[in-house]
Amino acid sequence: MYWYQVLAALLFTIGVVGVLVRRSALIIFMSVELMLNAVNLSFVAFSRQHGSMDGHIFVFFVMAVAAAEVAVGLAILVAIFRLRSTANVDDVRLLKG
Amino acid sequence: MTLVEPFLFAMFGGTAIGCALGVVFHRNPVHCALLLVGVLLSVSGLFVLLHAPFIAALQVIVYAGAIMVLFLFVVMLLNVKGESSILTPGAAKGFGILFALLGFVELLWTVLSPAAESSGIPEAVLPADFGSPAAIGRILYTVWLFPFEITSILLLVAVVGAVVLAKRKFA
Repeated sequence: MYWYQVLAALLFTIGVVGVLVRRSALIIFMSVELMLNAVNLSFVAFSRQHGSMDGHIFVFFVMAVAAAEVAVGLAILVAIFRLRSTANVDDVRLLKG
Repeated sequence: MTLVEPFLFAMFGGTAIGCALGVVFHRNPVHCALLLVGVLLSVSGLFVLLHAPFIAALQVIVYAGAIMVLFLFVVMLLNVKGESSILTPGAAKGFGILFALLGFVELLWTVLSPAAESSGIPEAVLPADFGSPAAIGRILYTVWLFPFEITSILLLVAVVGAVVLAKRKFA
């Protein structure tokens, strides 16, 4: 059963690497989704092991929050792109517009 | 626990890791998005293996369906030019990978150490309807009713926020 946890840890780490080394804000968002999925996998694996369905409920809420986060995040990205015509996080470093 | 399960686990897990590496290191954002769909579908296969059919269906519909369509729309909308270098330059890259690997070792230590919670407990015997929509609905609408309602407000706020932010002239 702990193989699922190892796999989840590996996927999470790949997501962290993506967030830290990529420059495009779009790919950084995808990496965040990767990390969320790794945690979901971990939740479901523990749920299976303990025979309790609370983990499934938590995954349900994580999915709902992820959907909200992606909608708002991508809207911010579109707004930044209109203003600065770049999606590169190294070029967007001022709070002022 | 059947004999096929380790085989299926290796297949889905391998696909997930391969596609995840592709997401992080591929140059073209459209390819990244499609590889991310690959990751999401393999994780959904793993959910089926873990007796969570409802969550697996939700994963395919919500993530691979809705969220990825949103991603692809934004990729098309932004028309991001081919980046000269996709990774952050210089020392930041090395430090990023180093700290990610440190985190990985830490996670592995948590999971595999003898004191870990996952090592001692044997797998629970599952009821027949474990993970079915009916069983999940039964606890979602009784024990977890209040968080469920809060989630609906969160989604409403997100919709309003997204519309306001993405409007052509915002001020």
